[in-house]
Amino acid sequence: MILDQLILPWLLAWLMAGLGAYLVAVLDRLMASGSAQVGSVWLAPLASAAWLMTQQATTTEAPDAPAWRLAPALYLALAAIGLALVPWSPTLVGVDLSTSLVLWGSLEALATVVIFLHGWSANSHLALIGAYRYVALGLSYLLISMFVLIGVALPAESLRLTEVVAAQASLWHVVSQPLGLPLFLVVGLGLTFWGPLNLADSADLSGGTAVERSGPPRLVWALARAAMLVAFSAIAATAFLGGWMGPWLPGPAWLLIKSLAVLVVLLWLGRRLPRLAPERCLTLMWVVLLPLSFVDLIWAGAVALWMA
Amino acid sequence: MAVSWQRRLAARAPAAVFLVEGARIGPVRETLALSPGIRLVDTPRHASVLVVAGDVPTGWRDDLRRIHDQLPAPFVSVWCCCESFEALCNPIRNDAVEALPQGVVETHRELMLGKRDSAPRLLPDEPPNSWEGLGDDGHGGEGMMGGTPYGRPMAMNMQDDLRDGLTLDTLTFRLGPFHSALPPGLQAEVSLQGDLVQTWTVTRKPFASVVEPIFHAARQEPVPIVEIELARARHHLRRLYRGLWIAGWPRLAERTLRMAGQLSPNSDIAGLRYTLERGGLWRLALPEPGRGALDEAQARQLGGPAARAAGIDDDLRSQDAHYRRLGFAPTCREAGDTAARWQQWLDEIEQSLVLAGQAARHDLKTAEADAVETPRGPWADAFPHDMSDLLGEVLPGLEWSEALLTLASLDVAALDLHPLGETRLPGPGHAGQKGHA
Amino acid sequence: MTPSPATHIAFVVLAALAVLSGWRVFCTDSMVRASFFLLLSFIAVGGIMILLTAEYLGVAMFFMMAVEMMVMALFMVMFMMNPAGLNPMKMVHQERVAIVAGVAVFGVLSAVAVLGDFPDMPLPAEHAPVISLGRELLGDSMLIFETAGVVLLTTMVGVVVLSSRHGRYGRADEGSIPPGLEPGGEPAGQPKESEEEKGEEGGHAHQHHH
Repeated sequence: MILDQLILPWLLAWLMAGLGAYLVAVLDRLMASGSAQVGSVWLAPLASAAWLMTQQATTTEAPDAPAWRLAPALYLALAAIGLALVPWSPTLVGVDLSTSLVLWGSLEALATVVIFLHGWSANSHLALIGAYRYVALGLSYLLISMFVLIGVALPAESLRLTEVVAAQASLWHVVSQPLGLPLFLVVGLGLTFWGPLNLADSADLSGGTAVERSGPPRLVWALARAAMLVAFSAIAATAFLGGWMGPWLPGPAWLLIKSLAVLVVLLWLGRRLPRLAPERCLTLMWVVLLPLSFVDLIWAGAVALWMA
Repeated sequence: MAVSWQRRLAARAPAAVFLVEGARIGPVRETLALSPGIRLVDTPRHASVLVVAGDVPTGWRDDLRRIHDQLPAPFVSVWCCCESFEALCNPIRNDAVEALPQGVVETHRELMLGKRDSAPRLLPDEPPNSWEGLGDDGHGGEGMMGGTPYGRPMAMNMQDDLRDGLTLDTLTFRLGPFHSALPPGLQAEVSLQGDLVQTWTVTRKPFASVVEPIFHAARQEPVPIVEIELARARHHLRRLYRGLWIAGWPRLAERTLRMAGQLSPNSDIAGLRYTLERGGLWRLALPEPGRGALDEAQARQLGGPAARAAGIDDDLRSQDAHYRRLGFAPTCREAGDTAARWQQWLDEIEQSLVLAGQAARHDLKTAEADAVETPRGPWADAFPHDMSDLLGEVLPGLEWSEALLTLASLDVAALDLHPLGETRLPGPGHAGQKGHA
Repeated sequence: MTPSPATHIAFVVLAALAVLSGWRVFCTDSMVRASFFLLLSFIAVGGIMILLTAEYLGVAMFFMMAVEMMVMALFMVMFMMNPAGLNPMKMVHQERVAIVAGVAVFGVLSAVAVLGDFPDMPLPAEHAPVISLGRELLGDSMLIFETAGVVLLTTMVGVVVLSSRHGRYGRADEGSIPPGLEPGGEPAGQPKESEEEKGEEGGHAHQHHH
């Protein structure tokens, strides 16, 4: 019991967090073909990590000590909890809660808190602006995420991720709910403040919430962000792309391939688009995307009724 | 000395460089940005190497000292065309911009492998003001709040909000003079409510900006139009690079810069324009139409591309007989806002490239020698002056990101009237890397 | 089913965390810190609810409280002084009243816990908490919940409207008056006033009819 309820989820989560974060760094570099980079693609992320590990962890004048120290670790912990929820096959699931979908939603909400604390606790003006900006973004994408996830739960008549996958046996949700995955990808970019939605750690704030960070905590922060991106990709593949289902290959392999596809799309979006202006971003979220998520939910309900 | 595997691995990482740009220095940021093995960062906290390039005058040395001490250990500083601090007993001096990247990479390697010691701190590590609150985390000491717990006044409501009447507390801080998003040397005191700029007061003017030597040469004698137009396109592409960096599009910024390094009369920027428009720079990232607009007087004072983006068709090139032979007419936009100035860059780059192509076929030189249209603005009897006070009129009312994108689109520094390399800078001026006591 | 020792340990840890962080709420000097200590306390309570097999309610607690505390911290910082919440301020007021009220409430609640007669009814194996909760929320109690929801929403909108100085027709302290139905006409939808009062208002482009 201890083995499959404590050790297994722990191993699954941390293995995926570590490998996933490394994979994100490698993929991001592979996609940057043609720019001025030296060294091997496979070694570069490790070299950067080693560089951060040798560095001193600076602090600021009168930071909020607990939050300042804990925020990167907490964000990483949230990513790991998310990875523990992912069902790899009908039997291989880290934590098979009956409400895993809601727990994922609360991870998104808690991530907003942690990112805010990361910026706020530094006691530095640019970090603070990043933190407040992120809250505005976080409160907007949370609602979208909620409606999209309810839409996914409707056909399954369950909040359990394994049953959400099982409900896609005949048709994946990416087809039956065409609005769902695009909207959820926006949530993913927001959750990890990646690419166009990088309002928290942006260049106009010289690094935003991480502006005062150096050394190992900065490494943890970067790791956490990448791990969260992986966790999100796995959840998106589970909720919309049929999770472990697929012919020939075993379940975990299919999930891996599908998560990788989502991850590549997210990274590609991050490279193709400039950062959205915060004001326009909020308008887009509340005026366009939120109503679209209503439409998605109504659509999902109608389809669920029709197919039932 | 045994070096741990961790340090050996760290030595393979790119050198994270925080660049301090002083006065009278060429495109050193651009050179470093394109160098393999170097990563430019926006904050000293993310850097291992502090590169000081160009002259840092006396009034700015204290700020430089503070930046120097913000780098996390282990770190070093590399000085290019600038006197280092006396307290640094073994500073690294490297006056040749071309050799600088290689020197920085080498220095970083040595630092990581432990062959070079970390630079000493120059200032005591203590709060700028002593604690004046009550108790360890006591409040200000006056009623519920108030007082000066950190030796600074508490943030309090002092101004009405400019946007929607939702009055928040005003947060005032000083930015610069070496902030990477501001023109070098510019220091400003900024008041924010939320992320809306309430006031922007320039407390120190930026260093005069340097244009390529060909614009100085054009004041002496006729110069080939090809070269002067390519230099102009290059200048605008470099400004576009800085803008795109702030707009959160580092890949495209780098591509723009690469393009600037490889310009020829046959180049065109259609691909770049397409990527910018398809990526939604104007629709999603830049301030909305009408934001950051200059009125006619302001635009006329500023001159150059900013004036033409506001519909003023002043351009000294239209007085030049040879430009007229090429069918030159100034390109203008009407709006005069931030988005229009970004468009104007692209328009002017395209125009310069077309002119360069035509001039190459006819092998034309400029006809006039006493007036030249620099990328910064017209230089005849008068020349572009420092206009940084304009920022205090344009930026309030903008959100932080809008303000910085607007700032990137405005060239407010004065024009440096002496070409680079005319006056010898103090110091040994040896090329290559050399330590001296 | 009797709870395992692990459940007991988890309960003690979570309960201690809930009480400790709840106590810290009153010892900090910043609204942001207070909000997030409260959040920590709620998260611990959510964990206890999961131990009580109220899985959905426990997890929903994380979700709701995270958003709620975030919004609370943000609004407090927005509407009150002290933007960063990092500058210290005194967080407790009217201490005597608060102490008396606290002791009284503690007494009542512990009396309920100690003297109350709790039902000892094991849950049926096929019990589905989410389904029964859904039936409750959208069944008999629907009217109550929906009314409470609408009232809360109205309050939030009202607070934002009241705290904004700019009304629909201009700034509140300069007298915001709606425009006329035709250009230059009487302000629309205003109660009839005497001529003098109107004259004093002045400044706005509405003509007097004599």
